[in-house]
Amino acid sequence: MKDSDIRHRFKPDNGFLKIAAIMTMGWTFPGTSAAADAHTIAATVCIACHGDDGNSVIPTFPKIAGLQEGYIVKQLRDFRSGARTSEVMSPVAAALKPEDIAPLAAYYSSRKMKPGEAVDREAAGFGKMVYLDGNEESGVPACIGCHQAQGVGYLIYPRIGGQHAPYVAHQMKDFASGDRSNDFGRFMRAIARRMTEEEIQSVAEYLVGLDER
Amino acid sequence: MNRFLNPLIVVALWPSVALAQTPVWNQVGEQAKNALQIKGDAARGAAAFVPCQGCHRKDASGRTSGAYPRLSGQHATVLIKQISDFQSGRRINQKMEPFIGEHVLNAFEIADIASYLQGLPISATNGKGPGSGVSRGNELYKKDCVECHGSWGEGNAEKFYPMVAAQHYRYLLRQAQLIRDGDRRNSNPDMVKAIKPYRDSDLEAVADYMSQLAPPDKK
Ligand code: HEC
Ligand code: HEC
Ligand code: HEC
Ligand code: HEC
Repeated sequence: MKDSDIRHRFKPDNGFLKIAAIMTMGWTFPGTSAAADAHTIAATVCIACHGDDGNSVIPTFPKIAGLQEGYIVKQLRDFRSGARTSEVMSPVAAALKPEDIAPLAAYYSSRKMKPGEAVDREAAGFGKMVYLDGNEESGVPACIGCHQAQGVGYLIYPRIGGQHAPYVAHQMKDFASGDRSNDFGRFMRAIARRMTEEEIQSVAEYLVGLDER
Repeated sequence: MNRFLNPLIVVALWPSVALAQTPVWNQVGEQAKNALQIKGDAARGAAAFVPCQGCHRKDASGRTSGAYPRLSGQHATVLIKQISDFQSGRRINQKMEPFIGEHVLNAFEIADIASYLQGLPISATNGKGPGSGVSRGNELYKKDCVECHGSWGEGNAEKFYPMVAAQHYRYLLRQAQLIRDGDRRNSNPDMVKAIKPYRDSDLEAVADYMSQLAPPDKK
């Protein structure tokens, strides 16, 4: 399925993407002391796509607030090495200095991910079953097993509770196709390949409204 | 991919291989040999068990439907042997393979997980059989199974005999069928002999009985 199928959500037009990307690539990160710069970089560069505090407004850009610190470090390194690729994010990561990564990860992981609200309640209801039970027939493990109650995440298992639905659905499809292949143990590729379109859309819809409790 | 294919090829060739050379059911592979010698660390095992929770549940109670077995309270030796058998392809389960292969679990982690699981309490709210087979199942069990699986279904850690009490009914039934029909290749040959003459209705009765057994007291 294509992004255009995600009817009820705002999709940024390509123009915005390009402007944001160009804006970012043209940017040379200032300063020398990395730790002090994390806030500056966040407030001048990352904010364009990931929003204030890492809570992006545009649903195809992930919220990065409250992600596990180690997970953020790993993703930024993977974008830089090419283990994970994104036309938009890879050039941004490439422009970072290696010593910027840890402070940025510390900064964003200390922010709080702000949940949204599910639009399609029926889908979210089915998605909840997928999240809590998986699918015994096809061997989809319950997401809660690794991503924990309310999707808060744990160590290498990132927070997914509160994340944008279109982003989640997109990642699941990239895992299934192998376009994203930086997952530990190949876990997510194995799981996404077993899921139906309906399961993917529904679980994504369920995750939107999950709040930490 | 290779690792995934190999067991399948082995299975395809199995009938001819079986004639040539019957493996000893408890002749464990390198991985298990190593894991059995390691003193498992339950705390580390709890963390290593996270990827298993999506199917076997956080408390390792499995699913009452029997789709996934209960692992809590099972003997560590049995768990180590079964996990290693899955890794080496002696026992095959495609659903679990991506989460338990050698690419994610080494001998230390296997020992840790086994030690953690062995110490977990056993839930008595397992998936039970219909109850109608219990008296016949009791007779059959006392005659053919008790010698290895024990009076209370407690099994035997030293001999790698699994605890079968309070396991989910559908899982027990499925395994009993697989073992009878020669489809679970790591089975004990004496057990295969004992269960070979069983009709499906006998298996249902004895599985019913085992599923109703209370969780054995463990020291
Ligand atoms: C031009 C837009 C843009 C900018 C600027 C940007 N990002 Fe991203 N970022 C993205 C997109 C799009 C993705 C998702 C990539 C994908 O689809 O795999 C992403 C993904 C990420 C991820 C992985 C999130 C996850 O949940 O796996 C992290 C971490 C991240 N960005 C951090 C940053 C940081 C730190 C900055 C500032 C230095 C930054 N980004 C600047 C667009 C941007
Ligand atoms: C066996 C453990 C496991 C299970 C079960 C699991 N995941 Fe994951 N998931 C992971 C790991 C590990 C990662 C991080 C991959 C990486 O390091 O890039 C991940 C990443 C993700 C991501 C990407 C997050 C981001 O910010 O980019 C999504 C989305 C996701 N999982 C959704 C799910 C859903 C939905 C389910 C249930 C159907 C599920 N996962 C079940 C282990 C698991
Ligand atoms: C995708 C679901 C799934 C995941 C994830 C999973 N398992 Fe399993 N597991 C199964 C199934 C299904 C069986 C039953 C196999 C059969 O029917 O032969 C099983 C059986 C077992 C058994 C055999 C139990 C017995 O009584 O003989 C052990 C031991 C086991 N799993 C351990 C684990 C461990 C350890 C992990 C994590 C590293 C794990 N499993 C992850 C689905 C899963
Ligand atoms: C000679 C000893 C022996 C006898 C007799 C025996 N078993 Fe077993 N049984 C075993 C062993 C050993 C295993 C584990 C085999 C393996 O490693 O795969 C096992 C496994 C099983 C399992 C699968 C358990 C699990 O957790 O996966 C079931 C069910 C079972 N036996 C039922 C029976 C029944 C019913 C009888 C009587 C008809 C019986 N057994 C008789 C030794 C025995």
